[in-house]
Amino acid sequence: MGRKNPRLYNGRPFKAALKRDLKMNKMLWLLAIPIIVYFFIFNYVPMFGLVMAFEDYKPIKGILGSQWVGLQNFKDFFMNPTFWQILRNTLMISLLDLVFAFPLGIVFALLLNEMHAIKFKKVVQTISYMPYFVSMVVMCGLIIEFCATNGIITDLCVKLFHIERQNLLMNPKYFWAINLISGIWQGLGYGSIVFVAAITNASGELHEAAAIDGANRLQRVWHITMPAIIPTISMMLILKCGMIMNVGSDKILLLYNPSVYETADVIATHVNRLGVEMAKYGYSTAVGLFNSVVGTILLLVSNWISGKMTESQLF
Amino acid sequence: MGKHFFIKQQSGMVEKNSISRIVFCILNYAFFILFSILCVLPIWHVVMASFSDPRVLMGTSGLVLKPLGEATLEGYKLVIGNMAVLKGYLNTFIYVIWVALAGTALTTLAGFLISRADFMLAKPLSLFILFTMMFSGGLIPSYMVIRQIGMINTRWALMIPGITNAFYIMMISGSLKSLPSSYEESAKLDGAGPVTIMVRILLPLIKANLAVVVMFNVIGMWNSWYPASIYLPRARELWPLQLVMREMLIENDMKSVITSSDTKNAVDFVANLCKYCVTVVGTLPILCAYPFAQRYFVAGVQMGGVKG
Repeated sequence: MGRKNPRLYNGRPFKAALKRDLKMNKMLWLLAIPIIVYFFIFNYVPMFGLVMAFEDYKPIKGILGSQWVGLQNFKDFFMNPTFWQILRNTLMISLLDLVFAFPLGIVFALLLNEMHAIKFKKVVQTISYMPYFVSMVVMCGLIIEFCATNGIITDLCVKLFHIERQNLLMNPKYFWAINLISGIWQGLGYGSIVFVAAITNASGELHEAAAIDGANRLQRVWHITMPAIIPTISMMLILKCGMIMNVGSDKILLLYNPSVYETADVIATHVNRLGVEMAKYGYSTAVGLFNSVVGTILLLVSNWISGKMTESQLF
Repeated sequence: MGKHFFIKQQSGMVEKNSISRIVFCILNYAFFILFSILCVLPIWHVVMASFSDPRVLMGTSGLVLKPLGEATLEGYKLVIGNMAVLKGYLNTFIYVIWVALAGTALTTLAGFLISRADFMLAKPLSLFILFTMMFSGGLIPSYMVIRQIGMINTRWALMIPGITNAFYIMMISGSLKSLPSSYEESAKLDGAGPVTIMVRILLPLIKANLAVVVMFNVIGMWNSWYPASIYLPRARELWPLQLVMREMLIENDMKSVITSSDTKNAVDFVANLCKYCVTVVGTLPILCAYPFAQRYFVAGVQMGGVKG
């Protein structure tokens, strides 16, 4: 709020201020209507629609006419024999990404920073963004081709790890690895952009001073570059922690098949299958609500922890 | 100070050329060269396969590093003459252009409104929008709303919901707030209204940020398939290219490309080739375009990192 207009709220009670504002900013009030309507319809009405989670929802009867079942849908989900499996898969897929892909992005940025041939660096950066722009459909098409029984990756795995020749996407043992590695391939370069920017902003003077004091490169990276990018890292970490429950369904929907549900089925795909394909609306709304609530709590908690520890917060 | 600095600077130079440093540099360059090759290789494989002789292609496994057999455009002829692919292309263009215009307009308007310091609704409105970033009704309730409005199986299902979001709006509002207020104050004195101020004075100043929003919108729309798959299940003629491609690449259903009465074998050969051609046709435009937009998405991602 850089430009406050002191005259407007100066000693004026709310009603008078509002009246004055409606008159002075008539155009702005009018322009706000479509925005409010838009967000109301597409973001807030669905929140009211969450009532479906407590109903045996039937589209013909509508929200008001459908039978109220209380917490039955939630019970069904928690009692579902696949509940723990789905929850485990969701958490594992996120955590694997957090533990492997996330630090790799930082390392990638640090290594990039050690390259001093500017032209070469630019070219490498541009190339490293490329996989990100390959659409999910195309990437999954490639994964399916490469992991088929006679695919390139299968060939490689048979030679390197002496596994049995098979379609890797049909074996639940490999799904997490395939998902993780393909995710790294697609996101490493793009994900490092924020860190590259933060490193570039780290002061060059400090580096010189530290070099004068006899700090070697590793020490300088550790004591100067790292502190400079810690706010960015913690910011990204909050985001990632808040997103732990939001494993995107679109990649898994393209990759999975019934023979790997054991490791591949996550909350989002479960909602998609039962809600969109089998029309169990009440139940899948309940599952979605559970997911949203846990996700929001995670986001707020990690935001709070980050605020305590590093003084960088999202909200 | 000057002398001291000079000496230490030299010792710094020595350190730069130490053996471990040289080894590190070589390994570092080797890593990045290898990484770049890994990034390009799958795409290269697809492009080369798409020009290959379908019969030879079918019989070989492994990476295709140059066109196998006699280079041919057979697959491209089939794909480009194919109605499903053509329609998909056309639909994607419609959606992309729409989202670039309408999505950006909506984002800009919302960003402008919540950036106004002397507007009483600015703060409540920004909270109203921010809250959607933290909590959402989820897939099924949103689907129900869109269904109730009657958008299912119409273009509008892809062209109205989801064309703006809190993140872009905050980005635009942030960049508007960071402008010095002197620009618009002089305009105000000249009697300009808020719309004039926005369009004539403020928007030209944040052109780069608008470009970021346009670019994210365009790339997101070009690559999206999931909303279309749930909102347009029965409207094949409205499918964007990615959904057409999903049918061919993921579900392995090539019947929309191959309709000839060839023998089963020949169909298999050609179907396999066409997959590669479709991939190239659907991917190349964006792969050719992104290096030119690099400046903008790097800026956009950085803004996201800084402002959250």
